[in-house]
Amino acid sequence: MVDVLKKSIWVFHLNSGSCNGCDIEVLDVFTPRPDFERFGVKLVPSPRHADAIALTGPITRAMVPKVVEAIKALPEPKIVLAIGACACGGGIWHDTYVVVGGIDEFYKILKEEYGMDPPTTIYIPGCPAKPEALIYAAGILADIIKQKQRRREDVIREEDEEKRKIETIIREEIGSRHFLPKIIVKRGPREGSV
Amino acid sequence: MQDIKRVIEENNGKIVVEHDYFLLVEVSREHVRKLARALFEAGAYYSTGVGSDERPKNGFFAMYHILNHEESKKYIVLKVETPEHDLRIPSITPEIEGANWAEREAHDVLGIVFEGHPEPERLILPDDWPEGVYPLRKDFKYNEKVKPVRKEEKFVEREDALVLPLGPFHPTLHEPEYFEIYVDGETIVGARYKGFFVHRGLEKLAEGRLTIHQIPFVAERICGICGYTHMICYCQAVENAIGLEVPERAEYIRTLLLEIERIHSHILWFGVVYHLLGFDTGFMHAWRIREKVMDSAEILTGNRKTYGMSLVGGVRRDIDEDKKEKTLKALREVSQEMKNLFDDVLAMKEILNRIEDVGILPKDRARSIGVVGPVARGSGINTDVRKDHPYAAYKYLDFKVPVYNGCDVLSRYLVRADEIFESIYLIEQVLDQMPGGDIMVERFEVPEFSVGVGATEAPRGEDVHFVITHRGSKVYRWRPRAPTYNNLPSVPVMLEGEHLADAPAIIGSIDPCFSCTDHVTIVDDSTGKILFRGSLEDAIRRLKR
Repeated sequence: MVDVLKKSIWVFHLNSGSCNGCDIEVLDVFTPRPDFERFGVKLVPSPRHADAIALTGPITRAMVPKVVEAIKALPEPKIVLAIGACACGGGIWHDTYVVVGGIDEFYKILKEEYGMDPPTTIYIPGCPAKPEALIYAAGILADIIKQKQRRREDVIREEDEEKRKIETIIREEIGSRHFLPKIIVKRGPREGSV
Repeated sequence: MQDIKRVIEENNGKIVVEHDYFLLVEVSREHVRKLARALFEAGAYYSTGVGSDERPKNGFFAMYHILNHEESKKYIVLKVETPEHDLRIPSITPEIEGANWAEREAHDVLGIVFEGHPEPERLILPDDWPEGVYPLRKDFKYNEKVKPVRKEEKFVEREDALVLPLGPFHPTLHEPEYFEIYVDGETIVGARYKGFFVHRGLEKLAEGRLTIHQIPFVAERICGICGYTHMICYCQAVENAIGLEVPERAEYIRTLLLEIERIHSHILWFGVVYHLLGFDTGFMHAWRIREKVMDSAEILTGNRKTYGMSLVGGVRRDIDEDKKEKTLKALREVSQEMKNLFDDVLAMKEILNRIEDVGILPKDRARSIGVVGPVARGSGINTDVRKDHPYAAYKYLDFKVPVYNGCDVLSRYLVRADEIFESIYLIEQVLDQMPGGDIMVERFEVPEFSVGVGATEAPRGEDVHFVITHRGSKVYRWRPRAPTYNNLPSVPVMLEGEHLADAPAIIGSIDPCFSCTDHVTIVDDSTGKILFRGSLEDAIRRLKR
């Protein structure tokens, strides 16, 4: 996914107010059965040594400056793994009075108050995220697996293209005076996408 | 039982509700201190305190002090009311030390002033929270965003020792917490804990947005390790408040899952402790064995953790013969493998030397601080909610409560080791004796302003939930209290006089679960006034100067 990362990915684990569910799953993937270290992934004690931050939790207000510090310390290219429903979108806490509400809301603060661009982010849903999901994310990160999910702008662009194609076909059919146009929509590449 | 009632009546308390599980006692402001003292002398110890804004009901604020009286197998709830224009209640902290945090917390979230409190400082809420805004008052919306105020950080140095910050991110802590350890050379002379990073506004969320059937799921997300016990604790509190009888089969299924959770939590703890001691092989073995328990949880509930199995009135899914067999098979393997692991580890002198006679918590201190669970049982106190206040199916089952007198990390280790095998024995009994029948009571009425208390023995100790119901399937006030809340103040006692290298193992030995504790937040300052916040770099720079 990121060209620079051809070899082992080192991860710094950052708990931003999580319930521990995702955190023990993050630890769990380093133990014998899932064995993350097969893929070269390793937990490191400092963001300065890491390639990616494994972020769990909905980001509480008290944690904002600390998360910013950690992201600043991360070397380029910065990668964030948003693990669990809370990190992805705030989860059940998304609108309470002391919670920022997920990584996207946090990126807004990052942009407005600290003037930083959001880093590359991989969203790993689940409550808590399962070890299988974490391994899948690591696979995407290391470019072992192709990403099944598409970016929103890609989906919108493809949909527009498709619409245009259909419109063209309809217009041509009308032009040739066949009143029941036969429309074939090819959904090939997006079939099975989430 | 008669004795405790006599004590209450002699000290001007009025028993309003008498339940099998708890007594609700109303007492006036003048008499609360005397009554609390009398109850403490009669053997009750402080469990938790809850402030509540009851202005929509009668224009008063109320403070509930919950005391645990093991002798009569009852919780005693003292209710003190104060009118809105005169928000003052005498503090009972001078009489019972354990009330300290609960009263400071009630002041933070509601603005009740406790007269005569020894340290009336801010306890919870973020540092940048403005003064005079009280989030748990009913006129504050749960999703209101308050503009932060910038605050200058106070730096006070300590003359005789080096201040060593541990956290909020530290390789040995997998949660954001902050310990300040004062060292003189290699020896620890003091310690201070600062939390609040995981405060997520849970109680307000439950009152504001959720209904009585949604709260079990948010209760489960208090903690990802021991979440199910919070779920059951909440359900029991509501069931006690509305007087609901749960079907027997549901009680057995609850017990089964509570014990599965205890096994997974304890094995997890062993892994973490081996890791903290630098014995990573043990960590890997413990967590390898734990996967079998996680698999049985997945078979029984559909998820590895965060089971989502209970509602008020019962459980959501039944279990069948196939699941039974698979669980038993997995647990037999776990039992054998854990036995082997424990034998191997305790035969290693290196490990034994690191945990024996380290982190001493004497029995009398343990009692006065009011520690719970394996920490108390490792200091020779025989306490277990499963025996003292029987709930779910524990009243039908046979089990032992392991107690060790060593008062050190090794004793707490051995208590947990024995508990794993007791839990496996309990599960075998549950699966053997489980009766048939319904698993859920579908229809029930929820009365308004009915008070309930629920308690469970979480893997880390006594877990207490307090609920006031409301009309329209809502909850008026809900207050969970996690075991780590009671256990944390013992950490500075354990750390004093020990080597710095032992600090992670000692902190780990109480099995701290900060996300449980921090839904409300605490600051413990054993040394009184020192406040230092900054990086290790700053500390070193200042030392050089």
